[in-house]
Amino acid sequence: MLDYDLIETPENVELERRLAGIGSRFLAGLLDNLVLLAAYIVLFLLFLAAWGVDILDEDKIIGAASTVVVAFLILVFFIVYWGYFVFFELRGNGRTLGKKHMKIRVVRVGGGPITFTDVAIRNLLRPVDGFGFYGIAGLFMFFSKKAQRLGDMAAGTVVITEQDRDYSARANKRLAATWEAEITPEALRTTGLTPREYNILRNYWARRSQFTEEARQRVLPRLLGPILERTGHQLEGQSLEALEEYVRGFVSKGARAEQEETKEEQQQSDQQ
Amino acid sequence: MTPAWFIQTRKPAWERLEQLIARTGSRGVRVLAEKELHELTRLYPAVAIDAARARMYKLDRTTQERINRIAIAAHGLLYKRRRTKVLPTLMRFFSTDYPRHFRRLWPYVVFSVAMFFVSGLGAYVTVQLRPSLIHVFIAEQLDMVDGEKGMSAEDMSERYRRMPHAPMAAGLMVNNISVAFNAFAFGITGGIGTCYVLLVNGTMLGAFIAHFTNHNQAYACWANLTPHGVLEIMAILIAGGAGLRMGLSLAIPGALTRKASLRAGAKDAVFLVLGTIPMFVIAGIIEGFVTPSYISGDAKIAVGLITGTAALAYLLLLGRARPAAGSGRPGIIAGGPTLSAGND
Repeated sequence: MLDYDLIETPENVELERRLAGIGSRFLAGLLDNLVLLAAYIVLFLLFLAAWGVDILDEDKIIGAASTVVVAFLILVFFIVYWGYFVFFELRGNGRTLGKKHMKIRVVRVGGGPITFTDVAIRNLLRPVDGFGFYGIAGLFMFFSKKAQRLGDMAAGTVVITEQDRDYSARANKRLAATWEAEITPEALRTTGLTPREYNILRNYWARRSQFTEEARQRVLPRLLGPILERTGHQLEGQSLEALEEYVRGFVSKGARAEQEETKEEQQQSDQQ
Repeated sequence: MTPAWFIQTRKPAWERLEQLIARTGSRGVRVLAEKELHELTRLYPAVAIDAARARMYKLDRTTQERINRIAIAAHGLLYKRRRTKVLPTLMRFFSTDYPRHFRRLWPYVVFSVAMFFVSGLGAYVTVQLRPSLIHVFIAEQLDMVDGEKGMSAEDMSERYRRMPHAPMAAGLMVNNISVAFNAFAFGITGGIGTCYVLLVNGTMLGAFIAHFTNHNQAYACWANLTPHGVLEIMAILIAGGAGLRMGLSLAIPGALTRKASLRAGAKDAVFLVLGTIPMFVIAGIIEGFVTPSYISGDAKIAVGLITGTAALAYLLLLGRARPAAGSGRPGIIAGGPTLSAGND
């Protein structure tokens, strides 16, 4: 199973979209079916009310007005049963209520929003995919490259996820490496590190409190080894505290350089 | 260019594009001023390239995904599906596109018709020769055909009459359309599922008619089957043709890849089956209101023959005249890979 679906844009650039997993799709389906179940229950109660309590009495002749209501309810049931997914996927641009909650979306393979044709095909095939509590769908999704069920394959659609991926279970969002914490050339020059090394050390420093001491002991020598070797320091025999002191040194040196740089920039722009 | 430099110089563009996207919210590009719109179209291609470059520089995944997400959101804004007007599209679909579509795919429908009638004839002959075998073909509804005394056309209508008309019409409509949808959907088994649906329905009908004929009630049977049945069976057979179209596209892909062939087949098939809905609606109304009515058996048979002929004329004759070149927008079916029914 691939993790990504590539969109080839008209500009000839490939963008990647993450495919939704079987689990989130199953949950979205479950939610949608709960919504449907609620609708069916309401319809059934209305049906009973219109038909009258003597539904089991075959000879009971129901009034003309209520026959029309019963007929109407039957049609509504049918439209809800076949139309729920078609309507909401079209309206929500690939998202039913359940999919919206799970932050997943139906899109065309290779880019582009879905059309009525796609939606009709993938949802009319639901009776087949839905066999055995969506067992058939699960089986095909498991073995297909892009996690497609039969309806997806026939329609040429995939389901993608729009959830932000959380790379560490307890990541401190503010400290996570984004471009907010950019690396300036000045910081690299002062510390003598490559951008990659600098980034690694800074991330380590920001997140060290989230790891156990044992894990830090295991990981830090590997991170720091090549750097210390280059700067001519001794790695072996140093305690964790001593190693972390190196990290702190690099990071604070870089941070100071960054601060000075931005101060200079501000002064320059103030003068202008 | 170093990754750090790349981030630093390109960051303003990403953040500006992100801002513009956030401003459109769920209402699309129309909320943007002209200047902003120009900005969006200028920024998007550059940021799309940045997304590729971020991958090349192996920036950390969070940054890569963020740039990628901005580019995709902008792509979604700029390449949005044009809203089709529902009513004109529907009008056009039923007035010209559908009959043409049917005429393009008729070989599949002929195959479906053949399968249905051969199996029906088989069941008819079997029950004629061995009347007790009726139980093999029809499990339920036997109370309708039970009893040696036989039933007149009037008796049979009476049974229909006892049921409330409107709910019955709605129920039959709904049930028959579901059968048609299933005949389409189970075509994805390479056509085997569709063949099963056709065989079951064909044998049931054949056995039913044979049973009434055995009890000298052939006329009663025809009088109560034809008014709605002609249209209903035509529609089921078209749905069967749709299932076979999809099934064979999967089983025999020809020059296309199997997946591409299935997609083309599914597209052809889904419109073929969706177009049968009005036929089922009309058939359901007839079954609910005309079949149980007090008009004579001959009149009922006439109703069936007239609706059948009308449907056939619709399918074979409408949309024959070519529209003037360039007039109107392409219909909903147009635009896919065009495969003639014969060569795959």
